[in-house]
Amino acid sequence: MGYLISIATFACIWAVLALSLNILTGYAGQVSLGHAAFFGIGAYASAMLTVKAGWSFWPAFVAAILITGVVGGFLGLPSLRVRHDFLVLATMGINFVVIAIFKYVSFFGGALGIIGIKKPALFGWTLRGPWFLALAALYLVLTLWISAYLSRTWAGLALTALREDEDAAEAVGVSVPRFKIYAFAISAALAGGAGSLYAHFLGSVFPDHFAFVESIGIMSMVVFGGIGTLRGPVVGAFILKALPEYLRFVGDYRYAIYGGVLVLMMLFQPQGILGDNSWLWNKIRRRIND
Amino acid sequence: MRSQKLLVILLVLSLLVVLAGGCGQSKPKSYKIGLFSPTTGFAAADGTSALHGAELAVQYINDHGGINGVKVELVHYDDAAKPDQAVNVAHKLIEQDKVIAAVSGSYSGATRAASAVFQDAGVPMVAAYAVHPEITKTGDKIWRVGTLAVVEGKVGGALAVDKLGAKKIALLTIDNDFGTSLANAFKEYVTAKGAEIVFEEKYPLGEKEFRPILNRIKEANPDVVYASGYYNEAANIVRQAKEVGLNAQIIGQEGYDSPKFLELAGDAAEGVIITTDLNRDSDREITQWFIKTYKEKYNLDADMVGASTFDAVMVLAYAIEKGGTKADGIVKALGELKDFEKAATGPFYKFTPGREVMRPLGAQVVKGGAFHFFAEFDDPALITPPW
Amino acid sequence: MSLWNILLDTLTQGSIYFLIAVGLTMVYGILKILHIAHAAVYTIGAGVGLAVFKLTGSFWLALIAAMLVSGLVGVIIYRGVYFYMLDQPRIVPLITSVGLFLLIEDLLQKPYLMGPYQHAFPAQEVFPSITLPWGTIPNAQVMILTLTGVALVALYLIFTRTRLGLAWQAAAQDREMAGSVGINLNRAIALNFLLGSALAGAAGVLVGVFYNSVYATMGDVPSYKAFVVIVLGGMGSVTGTLAASFLLAFAETVLLASVGYVLPRDAIAFLVLIFVLMFRPQGLLGR
Repeated sequence: MGYLISIATFACIWAVLALSLNILTGYAGQVSLGHAAFFGIGAYASAMLTVKAGWSFWPAFVAAILITGVVGGFLGLPSLRVRHDFLVLATMGINFVVIAIFKYVSFFGGALGIIGIKKPALFGWTLRGPWFLALAALYLVLTLWISAYLSRTWAGLALTALREDEDAAEAVGVSVPRFKIYAFAISAALAGGAGSLYAHFLGSVFPDHFAFVESIGIMSMVVFGGIGTLRGPVVGAFILKALPEYLRFVGDYRYAIYGGVLVLMMLFQPQGILGDNSWLWNKIRRRIND
Repeated sequence: MRSQKLLVILLVLSLLVVLAGGCGQSKPKSYKIGLFSPTTGFAAADGTSALHGAELAVQYINDHGGINGVKVELVHYDDAAKPDQAVNVAHKLIEQDKVIAAVSGSYSGATRAASAVFQDAGVPMVAAYAVHPEITKTGDKIWRVGTLAVVEGKVGGALAVDKLGAKKIALLTIDNDFGTSLANAFKEYVTAKGAEIVFEEKYPLGEKEFRPILNRIKEANPDVVYASGYYNEAANIVRQAKEVGLNAQIIGQEGYDSPKFLELAGDAAEGVIITTDLNRDSDREITQWFIKTYKEKYNLDADMVGASTFDAVMVLAYAIEKGGTKADGIVKALGELKDFEKAATGPFYKFTPGREVMRPLGAQVVKGGAFHFFAEFDDPALITPPW
Repeated sequence: MSLWNILLDTLTQGSIYFLIAVGLTMVYGILKILHIAHAAVYTIGAGVGLAVFKLTGSFWLALIAAMLVSGLVGVIIYRGVYFYMLDQPRIVPLITSVGLFLLIEDLLQKPYLMGPYQHAFPAQEVFPSITLPWGTIPNAQVMILTLTGVALVALYLIFTRTRLGLAWQAAAQDREMAGSVGINLNRAIALNFLLGSALAGAAGVLVGVFYNSVYATMGDVPSYKAFVVIVLGGMGSVTGTLAASFLLAFAETVLLASVGYVLPRDAIAFLVLIFVLMFRPQGLLGR
């Protein structure tokens, strides 16, 4: 039981990460390979506020979201100057620099990380196991709702205009810089909340937990599931986060298979397993329409 | 998706009920000990050595009649040195495999995260070589057989100033929990003894190019360089030190303790002295058995990581034999352990109240392409863990 | 630290960066793919080189075999995978590349290939050390410097004196145009992958010998570090990459030789990258 709950909790946290990256990359077209940096900033903010400043989980959780949102908006500034592959590499760089700061500035605990982060409590009652999973699932639902809202409303339209053609978006009166920064801030804020949950679920954070490979992993989930959709990132995260666990029977070939699955998916279903016009999604839609 | 998940949960639940009903009260066929270590990813070398060490311990125990006649079974999972996987694996070991106790053959981050799960579930866990000081503070079920970096740093200091008479010392520190703890303890000891730190620098894990730093150390002209790191960084440090003409004595520690250090560093390794708990020249039967069998079975020389994991399993087997299969009994037996001789890394005198092991520590020197005995540190003032 | 040491360290480190990054920049120039799996090709080169060296004892055979196999693997990656996704959004080949990198690296780590441990590559003695009035160049550094020099001259000749080089340049300017003026694009791209990957294989061997260690995850750092080099070099420009390699090596060496690790080497490199991009979004040496 605890095993499945543990897998499901991590899957929920990563689904939020994938959805939040999807807002930035799927809706606004800003490809980022530094998303783990925001994940880490949220985790560290929450960990430090509870362990060092003695806050309780709930205000720290909200503060982590806000702090990460502000930092995310600020770190989104390079996107105003830099486009396409250069932006990919700039965000990658942000990831490395953020990790290095956690590691080299003793204020953040340095290489020894932050230890002794407590699980959240409600009315003096500690949330563990299924209750923590419920909290993570609730946050996932909130993220889904925000994503749906963004993709539906005017802001969502503007973001999509941005993805398709920045110059055209500018021409029809969309303020490109403002929306880019919004996209970065919202995306980062949601990832920050995921970081907070992660820190309190694990009980300890180290700089390396938020390294560049995690950013790659999150991006893989988004693309694997179907970029730009709501269902895609969630399904991508659940499959790719749980896959290495369910592949334990193949022993040490887990990651070879993981890599192979990614390659095959991109070859045969580049729009993602549940992306628009993907084989599976078309089948499901036909089934529903019948 | 959600209904599928529910279905899986229900299935597993019913399976568990069936299994629980099926197991009667009869004597168990085997005692299960869990192990998690990274056999894939960047840490695969250490994870593989850890697995080897644990397998050998199980072989040794079973060849000697098991635990009170019951065989030991090792359940191993790969955690890729990632904390989230270690947490999943800890749950799997506890709930699905129902291990009596577990051994961590992984790094600090993963070990610390998993230790919380074991503590919550009341399953004893022994960390083999993870060094983070806070690991054992998780709770009364979490123990460690690796030497604390704080102790090892102090012993390194004693080696430098007391044995080698160093007056001017350069510190080159790897920037993780291991290096940081070592350097702090080392510095405290040597400065108290009146030696001078003439150079200090830290470097990132995995660094290969030390020439710019080594050139600066050369200018500082120290007697001794205390350089922490793992075998791959260490090999580059000693090779490049020789290249730039830095002739000071290099002191390393257990991170160097691998046949791969000797292979990669080649001639440059000659004369390097390290502090470690695995004494290659020991005449203790268990140590010789371990070193010999490891080589025979895996066609590879044993390293510190393998030896520590071997010892973690050995000490758990002892505690199960003494205290039974219940967690309280195991914890009590570990707490009362005295002069445990069945460890490849030398006798364990006892565990401290903070669940850290107290044992003599050795220094080994590289001579003729192999580690050999150099000194032993047995002074309680040096080797007693601080908690 | 003396000027001589800084110069020597910059030259060797810069050569290593160049050898790893040049293949990547060639691929990027034509296909605009962020080819992370290039680092896996580099590891394959090192592995093949070591295996041949152990078998034959010849460094030169090892180098040639490594280049051949790596080049071949590169072509297979192009024809078998990237070829089918040239019209997809760029994120698709990027994720594919990540998958390939994971797949190859994980397989290489298996006991029947390279295993989890590091291996020595003791071929340094093939080269002499050279003593100059200012100091000595150790043999491993002599190897890196001379062979990088050879590679440079060869690249220069191929790019300026052959039809192939001209075809590459044309394709880098505009792939469709190049196709329409009678350049056999498929062949040109395949050959581009062949040469770029062969150079990565050579880099694997040279770095393996230089640090006397070869292992399955040796591509981890180059997989991202090489991108810093090619971005600074303007992405797709070989001369730009050359300049960027030495500039980055110089910056790192001087910083480490004067103040030390304010931040890890990679973070320093990325800080430089972000800083440069803010002022020149097209890269330091891009047009």
